[in-house]
Amino acid sequence: MSASSRNRPPPGSSTFATVNSQAPAIEVRGLRKTYHRAFRKGGSEALRGMDLTVPHGSAFGLIGPNGAGKTTFIKSILGIVQPTEGTVRVLGGTPEDPRIRARIGYLPERLHLPGTWTAPAFLATVARLKGLPADRAMPQRLLERVGLGDAVGRRIGGYSKGMRQRLGLAAALVGEPALLVLDEPTDGIDPMGRMEVRRILQEEVQRGTTLFLNSHLLAETERVCDRVAILAGGRVVREGRLEDLARGGARWLVRFAPGASAEALAEAGFHRGGAEGQYHVEAEDPAALNVALDRARAAGALMVELRRDGADLESVLMGTVEAAA
Amino acid sequence: MSPVLGIAGYVLREALSRKFILAFIVGITLVLTVVALSLRIEVVDGALAASRLFGEELRTSIRSVDVALRPVYRAAAFLVFYGGILFGIVACSDFAPSLMSPGRIEHLLALPVQRWQLLTGTFLGVMTLALGGTLYGTTGLVLIFGVKAGYWTAGPFIAGLLACVGFAAVYAVMLTTATLVRSAALCAAAGFVFLVGGVIAGYRQKLMPFFEEGIGRNAFSAVTLVLPRLSALAMAGGDIAASAPLEVRSLGLLLLGVLVFGFGALALGFWRFDGKDY
Repeated sequence: MSASSRNRPPPGSSTFATVNSQAPAIEVRGLRKTYHRAFRKGGSEALRGMDLTVPHGSAFGLIGPNGAGKTTFIKSILGIVQPTEGTVRVLGGTPEDPRIRARIGYLPERLHLPGTWTAPAFLATVARLKGLPADRAMPQRLLERVGLGDAVGRRIGGYSKGMRQRLGLAAALVGEPALLVLDEPTDGIDPMGRMEVRRILQEEVQRGTTLFLNSHLLAETERVCDRVAILAGGRVVREGRLEDLARGGARWLVRFAPGASAEALAEAGFHRGGAEGQYHVEAEDPAALNVALDRARAAGALMVELRRDGADLESVLMGTVEAAA
Repeated sequence: MSPVLGIAGYVLREALSRKFILAFIVGITLVLTVVALSLRIEVVDGALAASRLFGEELRTSIRSVDVALRPVYRAAAFLVFYGGILFGIVACSDFAPSLMSPGRIEHLLALPVQRWQLLTGTFLGVMTLALGGTLYGTTGLVLIFGVKAGYWTAGPFIAGLLACVGFAAVYAVMLTTATLVRSAALCAAAGFVFLVGGVIAGYRQKLMPFFEEGIGRNAFSAVTLVLPRLSALAMAGGDIAASAPLEVRSLGLLLLGVLVFGFGALALGFWRFDGKDY
């Protein structure tokens, strides 16, 4: 399915929401959510004026510490939680509009599945509730895609946690949604299964689906997403392209073959790193980097590895949350 | 397919996968089969000449068949009314709390189903189940006695429908309770309290003199005024099943009162559910 066809409403809908392919998949402005409890004064603020734009067709990751408001945010963009203040636009409409929700696939954090049903019956029911035309082959197709082709005849109650999670993912994929909102999609899935899920998500993004992922597995987010927002204390404290967030400024990491002169490399601007043959160099642009490398080569050093000396997502998250605290 | 019917189908599928509901259907079938196989009725010129149950002769005077079957149909109508509602309270108490359980309600609310459709579908699914069970039992009873005694009446059907109306009011309360608290036990308790309240409300005029004049009697009068008069509905059902004259003054007004109560309870539930965060 092409990216443009993803913008079309699902078959079976009698009236369609107007969709602008240039519009962000999710646009949130000044979102506040305060949970009030009976017989208690005030309330607990889960979201405190959140602004976020998720571009159409992107793979967007939401990360943050426990209690940051991630699940409340996800529920807000699906209309499950009603915001106290602010505006939420999803796929160019409001989440309360069933025509918009028909184009969203959602996997909750702890999906409760009917244990006595079979997986095809569950998927067929989800398709019916999404207003899709009957397609007998669809459940089998989706179950095979998520690696449950062999468990078709079994009752869901007999599934392992990982199998349930895969079924939840299959339910989210019903109707080829334009926006996939996944809350901890690889929770309980073994490493091989995670690779399969990652492959499926990457296929979906390549086909033009917008992916919105909430996962506490930062390596998962790093591998799948191209943009990330860090949520802390109910606010977005940092947001941007993953490579920009993780970039370590103008610092590069270079590894030279054994035998390179440390003095000569120091004169060329290289500082010794932690491992054998590893050095760091500061270069504002490619030209400056190549000048430094030419000096190193002129001194007889043979380069075997070069990469940006960036921080991983975990370091970015820790640094950002500590700074915001 | 309408989302309301989709949710009703979801509830029915969930119900039919439960063993105790299947056991109930098997139980009704067994009772009807035993009655059909063990009861022998001899009718001569429209009069019940002799009847045998498990081969033992039942000593009764010779009466016309319709008169002889009156107590049977009346007892069956009461059994269907109170037994059916009690079973319904127990069997259906966790449908709504289960649909609203964490992890399931989020998934359902993220689908293109509006909140009112979710509640309406749940109500419709449960009522389809109640109606199906009632019609199955009453049809079996009418068929057995119709074939054996040659006496055909729609009374038990109508009595069964009245039982369904009574259960609708009780289930409306249970559904509304589920929007307030996701507990099957509390839903069942609320249903049971309103069933008892409805029985008392049906005898409010007779019970009124037992309260001292003043605040006590006024409070009893006020509380029972808003409750559905379920015992009066059961009496009317018994009379109709037995083809006897109605004791209630107006069945129409009685039904209207029960329906108004049920819709009122549902409206409260819809309002609560619509504004609730999950």
